[in-house]
Amino acid sequence: MNKNYLFLAILMIILAGGLLILPERTNYTQINPEDLLWDIIQPSRYVTTDQVAKMLIEQDPTLELIDVRCAKEYNKFALPNAINIPLDSILSPNYSDYLGIEDMNAVFYCNDDILADQAWVIAKRMNISRIYIMKGGLNCWIKTIIQPTPPPETASGDEFDQYDFRKGASMYFTGASISAPKSDSKSQVTIKRKKKTTATAGGC
Amino acid sequence: MGPLIPQGIITGQWDFVIALLIGTAFGFILESSGFSSSRNIAGVFYGYNFVVLRVFFTAMIVAMVGLLYFNYLGWIEMDMVFVLPTYLAPMILGGFIMGLGFVIGGFCPGTSYTACAIGKLDGFAFLGGFIIGVFIFAEAFPLFENFYYSGYMGNITIGEVFNISNELVTFIFVIVAIVAFYVTWLIEKKVRKNRTESKFE
Amino acid sequence: MKKNSNITKGPRYINPYFGGILLGLLLLATFYIAGRGLSASGAAKLSVVTIIDKIAPAHAEGNAYYDKFIPTDDSSPLFNWLIFGAIGTFFGGMLSGGIYGRLKKLRIEHSPNITGKTRMIAAVVGGMLFGIGSQFGRGCSSGAALSGTASLSFGGLLVMALMFGIGYVFAYFFRKLWI
Repeated sequence: MNKNYLFLAILMIILAGGLLILPERTNYTQINPEDLLWDIIQPSRYVTTDQVAKMLIEQDPTLELIDVRCAKEYNKFALPNAINIPLDSILSPNYSDYLGIEDMNAVFYCNDDILADQAWVIAKRMNISRIYIMKGGLNCWIKTIIQPTPPPETASGDEFDQYDFRKGASMYFTGASISAPKSDSKSQVTIKRKKKTTATAGGC
Repeated sequence: MGPLIPQGIITGQWDFVIALLIGTAFGFILESSGFSSSRNIAGVFYGYNFVVLRVFFTAMIVAMVGLLYFNYLGWIEMDMVFVLPTYLAPMILGGFIMGLGFVIGGFCPGTSYTACAIGKLDGFAFLGGFIIGVFIFAEAFPLFENFYYSGYMGNITIGEVFNISNELVTFIFVIVAIVAFYVTWLIEKKVRKNRTESKFE
Repeated sequence: MKKNSNITKGPRYINPYFGGILLGLLLLATFYIAGRGLSASGAAKLSVVTIIDKIAPAHAEGNAYYDKFIPTDDSSPLFNWLIFGAIGTFFGGMLSGGIYGRLKKLRIEHSPNITGKTRMIAAVVGGMLFGIGSQFGRGCSSGAALSGTASLSFGGLLVMALMFGIGYVFAYFFRKLWI
């Protein structure tokens, strides 16, 4: 038996064995710290509760609300058509289809800003674009949309316009939840999975 | 970054130039390894010449290991690599018929091209037979159309079927191949003692 | 390598493991460039489709199998990656045969125990079986068995295992053809 063959055979076994002991490969290219910092300091990564309310009322087909709280809290109360991806399972393959859908604007929210912010950073590192955070979270949602407080009389006209909108929105959201039981609004979750165009969404 | 063509990195008529070059390399390797001779190829079934097994298995393990490393390093997007879909029953039948054709005809289509290229009439006969075979198949296709599409399992990989990682599958293949190389080397030595000629042109 | 002994006795072939490594690297390059493996039978299949499409277009379109491979945009089925690959394979074989001195006049290679005619009939029959089998198997030894298995396809493994397995099962009955 030729020694060269023995050498080749061992080389091949080592190469194949190397595959077995290699650590798990990260599937995405990570954003470098400078870019991440740049993106984090951009105020444009936040959307206000008013903007979310407006998009919901207009049934904007590009809006994808992602609730990053735990399932228990989600079941208690959630925004209409939101999908629940608890922060601790955001990397689970079960949910990978929901992130990074073309032409969709993913808006993370939780009770305040913290969990949503963390989810945003993780999604950013997964190189997912068009991701946002609902500023103030659900607490702010309740404060501004569901139970809006009238502005002081000295406020500008814009603020009164905003208050009018919020009152209308409040009626839209609370009224809708009275006329239809909550379980119904959950079953309406019609998040389209990846690769389907949003043209098929048919909002109106 | 790869595969290049499905990702649109190479486009247009370059496809065909590349196909031509790859084909040329393929033909060259087949011919220079001795696959233009049906008697060399058939030797794998009678133990006097295992060149088919050696070339075939070496190529397979090299490509497999390479592909997985490419995937690991992110050079190739495995999702975009064509994994032959599995149609269970038709493929079993197809493999059966081809095995029979292999031992009778002594070529497979690729090797018959190279046999034709160096002027072997039996290569042309095989290729002619192949064309007749495809014609018969296509003409009779309506009779077994349902069977042809039966047993569809999707683009399933070996690892998925046996519920192990594809890295492990590759490792097993490498071990099996090396054992096969050694065993066939022993067999070949024994069989060749009783023969005057084991390599053909 | 033992070049000298090869020249004096027996044909000059490259070392099979060296050939295998080259073929493996070529296959890897093909996957890297084209995202698919090598194929040989596809070209012959497309030739059949083209011939039938030329002779009897209506018949070809009426047949579900031919119809699968006729491009909808009226271009020839022959203008295809597979065909150029097959043309290349032919030239590559010719090149190698030329370099190693095997490119000679037309001849039939057969075992001394059988006549040239028997060999030709066997080749046609084997080719026919391969023609039918490769359609069921979704490829031949290069497309399904080699490229399929290399890309870890279960179907490819199935075809490869059966092809060689059945070859061994029937080898005894056809030994007269070869030894």
